[in-house]
Amino acid sequence: MTNGWNDIANSDCILVIGANCAENHPAAFGHIMTAKARGAKLISVDPRFTRTSAKADIYAPLRSGTDIAFINGMIKYVIDDIERNPSNYIMTYILEYTNAPFLINPDFKGPAELDGIFSGLNADARSYNTATWQYQLDENGVPKRDKTLKDPNCVFQLMKKHLSRYDVDKVSKITGTPKDVYLEICKTFAATGKTGKAGNILYAMGTTQHTHGTQNIRAYAILSLLLANIGVSGGGIYAMRGEHNVQGSTDMALLAHILPGYLGIVINKDVTLQDYLKRLTPTTKDPLSANWWGNYPKYVVSLLKAWYGNGATKDNDFGFGYLPKVSGNATALHSWIPLFEAMNKGTIKGLFCFGQNPAVGGPNSNLERGAMDKLEWLVVADLWETETAAFWKRPGTNPVNIKTEVFVLPAACHYEKEGTVSNSSRWVQWRYKAANPPGEAMADLEIIDELGRKIKEVYKSGGKYTDPILKMTWDNGHPASSDKVLREINGHDLTTGKLVTNFVSLKDDGTTSCGEWVYCGCYNEEGNFTKRRDLNDTPYKIGLYSKWTWCWPLNRRVVYNRASVDLNGEPWDKEHPVIWWKDGKWTGDVPDGGFPPMSVDPKATRLPFIMRNEGVARLFGMGLADGPFPEHYEPWESPVKNPMSGTQINPTCIIGASAPGQRGTSDKYPYVATTYRLVEHWQTGPMSRNLSWLCELQPDMFVEISEELAKEKGVANGGKVIVESARGQFEAIALVTKRLKPMNVDGKVIHEIGMPWHWGYSGLVTGPSANVLTPHVGDANTAIPEYKAFLCNLKKA
Amino acid sequence: MEQRVQKYTKVARIFHWVHTAAFILLVITGIFLYVNAGLVAQDSWSRLVHRIAAVIFVLAPLMQLIANTRTATASLKTALTWGKDDLDWVMAMPRYYFLVDEESMPPQDEMNTGQKLWYFILLVFSPIFVITGILMWFFKDILPSGVFQWSIFFHDVAFIVVFLMFLVHVYLGVIHPLMRQHGGSFSAMVDGTVTEDYAKSHHGKWYQRIAKK
Amino acid sequence: MAEKAILFDSTKCTACRGCMVACKQWWGLEGEKTQNFGSYENPPDLTYNTWIKMKFTEIESKRTGGVDWLFTRRSCMHCTDAACVKVCPSGALYHAPLGNVAYNNDLCTGCGYCAEFCPFNVPKLQGGAATVIRKMNKCIMCIDRISNNQEPSCVKTCPTDALVFGARQNLVNTGKERVQELKSTYPNAYLYGEKELGGLHVMYVLTQLPQVHALPTNPEVPVTAIAWKDVLKPAGYALAGLAVIGLGLNYLAARANANAKAESKSKH
Repeated sequence: MTNGWNDIANSDCILVIGANCAENHPAAFGHIMTAKARGAKLISVDPRFTRTSAKADIYAPLRSGTDIAFINGMIKYVIDDIERNPSNYIMTYILEYTNAPFLINPDFKGPAELDGIFSGLNADARSYNTATWQYQLDENGVPKRDKTLKDPNCVFQLMKKHLSRYDVDKVSKITGTPKDVYLEICKTFAATGKTGKAGNILYAMGTTQHTHGTQNIRAYAILSLLLANIGVSGGGIYAMRGEHNVQGSTDMALLAHILPGYLGIVINKDVTLQDYLKRLTPTTKDPLSANWWGNYPKYVVSLLKAWYGNGATKDNDFGFGYLPKVSGNATALHSWIPLFEAMNKGTIKGLFCFGQNPAVGGPNSNLERGAMDKLEWLVVADLWETETAAFWKRPGTNPVNIKTEVFVLPAACHYEKEGTVSNSSRWVQWRYKAANPPGEAMADLEIIDELGRKIKEVYKSGGKYTDPILKMTWDNGHPASSDKVLREINGHDLTTGKLVTNFVSLKDDGTTSCGEWVYCGCYNEEGNFTKRRDLNDTPYKIGLYSKWTWCWPLNRRVVYNRASVDLNGEPWDKEHPVIWWKDGKWTGDVPDGGFPPMSVDPKATRLPFIMRNEGVARLFGMGLADGPFPEHYEPWESPVKNPMSGTQINPTCIIGASAPGQRGTSDKYPYVATTYRLVEHWQTGPMSRNLSWLCELQPDMFVEISEELAKEKGVANGGKVIVESARGQFEAIALVTKRLKPMNVDGKVIHEIGMPWHWGYSGLVTGPSANVLTPHVGDANTAIPEYKAFLCNLKKA
Repeated sequence: MEQRVQKYTKVARIFHWVHTAAFILLVITGIFLYVNAGLVAQDSWSRLVHRIAAVIFVLAPLMQLIANTRTATASLKTALTWGKDDLDWVMAMPRYYFLVDEESMPPQDEMNTGQKLWYFILLVFSPIFVITGILMWFFKDILPSGVFQWSIFFHDVAFIVVFLMFLVHVYLGVIHPLMRQHGGSFSAMVDGTVTEDYAKSHHGKWYQRIAKK
Repeated sequence: MAEKAILFDSTKCTACRGCMVACKQWWGLEGEKTQNFGSYENPPDLTYNTWIKMKFTEIESKRTGGVDWLFTRRSCMHCTDAACVKVCPSGALYHAPLGNVAYNNDLCTGCGYCAEFCPFNVPKLQGGAATVIRKMNKCIMCIDRISNNQEPSCVKTCPTDALVFGARQNLVNTGKERVQELKSTYPNAYLYGEKELGGLHVMYVLTQLPQVHALPTNPEVPVTAIAWKDVLKPAGYALAGLAVIGLGLNYLAARANANAKAESKSKH
């Protein structure tokens, strides 16, 4: 998240889309209530009227999978309004802090001209050549700008052209949202463009779990930037994490495509460290660009030093050669869907599951459970016997036929171990142990540590290529200590042996080590900052709580905060200043790069978005796989032909090998379905379906349907229905509700069905898993599966 | 040796005492609702005893009716037949009981008016106990709470009336000086007999009748 | 000591039901075996082991979306005129000094009068069906916590401050202000419990009429409770007393007369 949880309270308008924070982030909702008490408006956009909607000032339904159309229409509304009433917006922000005035290659063409695609598509490879998506450079190699925003090739004009197709009628036709409510939302949220006003967008899995999930968020970013809501207090984009340490797991790169600290994965072409660094270190010729990623080599070398210690020397490229390399697009090859497709083919023979329950949580669970049948071995570390641990005795299978050897390691729960967790606010907080784990249960760290030591021991007796294992630093103490690991993450100055102060001190010559550069500074010679518990909120009392624990990067609570001030360093919103240039220095939050304001020192200053090599935020984003602007595509399974263009689905989305054979069509599966969580249960259920206090609240799997559909199907509330998709079916209880209503989409009446996905065959209460219905397709950039929009049929049981 | 007259059969006496025992248990376990018994009533054992006693309380007279139909119906008939004799008894009662003026009381049959009244009250109020009791015991979850609330009220109205009459009954049967003369009335419910003198003085009419036989 | 109360603001409640879990956790109450009956709501009602629950009500509305989803707390109201305290024969139920209605479990005889007379149908009993030996349970406003200057556990866990604990008078004022704020959006907004039953110690900020929130309008101590407790019981005591006195006097008189007679007889 750009801002922290507490900062929600400072907002003037909170747009919750693709999220249901009352149910899935109930504690965060307290901050929303604080904002509402100040007069903030809460907008809830969701196919279902949820518990969040129940508290909202404005609620709008939309058809699952049409967020881009919805937000693009809002952006069009804002652009039109900017041209009519520029004084209602902070034009300086748009001109100086975004790439609105930047000129793009004149050969660039967008969906308006190419029927739904961008220039450079290789349809067979399902990828784009982004050569035309680049800035025009002047003779010094600096991007050209037109601050009048009139040049037809400037980002602003391109965006305007792209969005001109998203008028209110078209948007309503695609999304099914009634026009009057839609316009009310546009008007209400656009009002946060005023100087001193701020609006934020809160999203979660309802946004990301689509074949165009990343572009959904791009759309939020563009809207927020035009309204000058990024970097300011009360603004920002909130990626509300679904688990208490998902942020931490992302930071530590429990992902296919990155190394810790958002460093790129190594690919085949990176023969040497230099190849790798050359490919990934951005450069700039713009004197005003801080280009922070120019420090890439320091972070990579320090990481290698943390991993290989004395085994990492200048002569051996700091052990770069020990790293495994990916043969192509890591996301397409090694993320969830391809992993299970590979298991299904028998290519992958063993699987470790730590706090993961793919038998319930994975898309197309029937396929994924079947894929596990082919494993030689499976290790599950969890608090309970999850559906995954019990996959070999699941209903409908004969254990005799499953040869997989299953090891279940009892794990300690979060109160039974110490260490840090990183929340959505990027706060890295130390958590103390409250009780000893029961029986033989161990902390994950101890399990991994033992495993690592055993593997090293085995490798000592020889093998094909033992260096990557034997040279690896594996000094976690005995028993393994979280404190020691956190020190390794923060990193050391190897010449003095002291902890590094922060990542500014990291070097690329092998004299520093650092396990995760964005965490560098959390634990230095001054102490373990993650243990801080000081509730003083200084100096501007906007809820930063800068001395409560530690926040990455550099304890900066609001990122991009130099965009919260004007060119003189004065905050746009003087009631809620994040930083303020006073007496020749910044006060308030840790500034995003300590450079002076642009008007104060035009030479020493740097543009505020230091992580971009052009120094400004991207309205036109050339970094994504599926286009520089968000464009509406229908979900993989949709009841309608794309009303926006002839391109039905995202041309670059990830399609699992099994998916095309299991694609449902609207003649057989006429209803749009979506999945979600309930406040009463937790993810795939092991943590909650084993606790009677939560089981009693939501005992059974159910599907929510409108009164209209129930009538059509002769289904009574509380009665049984059978739901089926092209991939599976189950029987569940029908919850007939006024909170779901049929939608009018492109002249058709579309029914949407909602279902939670918490149930499985283990635990105190059991039930069918919604994911037996979901497809094996994923987002073009992240490959996150499309859990949130697919087709199904429903009949009375 | 004193001459004794048989007044109650063995069966009648057994049922009387069973019924009495049940009643006393009902009173004790019911009185907790009136007299705060503190921890004595905890664990609500009293509710169980009350129900067991209630069943006995209901079954005892019914079984007596079956076991000894002739006598029981005769008693029922007596209890329901009221006449001038009863008015005389009422008129004579104050002198008789307060001044112990035996001459004032005309000769009584086997059951005097007071006894008839006690019998009559039991006949009227027992069904109230039973009906309200059954409602509260078995139907509280089905019926509106108002039914339960009124059941409590009428159960207790019946209790107050019957309990007061019970006090009078015990008092007159055992304690009052007149009832302790001539060997007293209590033996009628112990071995079933009273002395001839007692029979003569308290149930003259009846004594005359049986003496003729 | 100033009376304490809980203020439940239905406009702030998200029905996360943390209050229900916190209550069970603090008091170690068992989870119920339930079944989905076509609602988010469960358990279906309060029980011996469920002292607080949230009621979910869907109504048609003029708001966007055409629907409103009401979340209403259901638990002991801690009435000032508490029918349960009135009818409790054993004195188990009582008003604690802070105004909450608590009970002494040891004293409970399981008679169930509290359950039957409560205008909110709150107290619940559990026990053997055969033995009828049972006890009552209900919310006691965490008397252990509040008498040690802590909030009740439901209030403590509430993430949106829909539940607030404090001096009753302050909360009446807070509630009234909140209702005034809401009047423009919700003309039927109402502070429930300010005056009901002599003042409840759990008050509600409602957006709709009480009956829409499944709360009784003008709840009262049932007339039967008054008839039984204030008329019949005293009459019972009085009549029993009179009877004992009457019989005693009769005994004294009769004995004196009998003795006199015996004396005169022996003189003759």
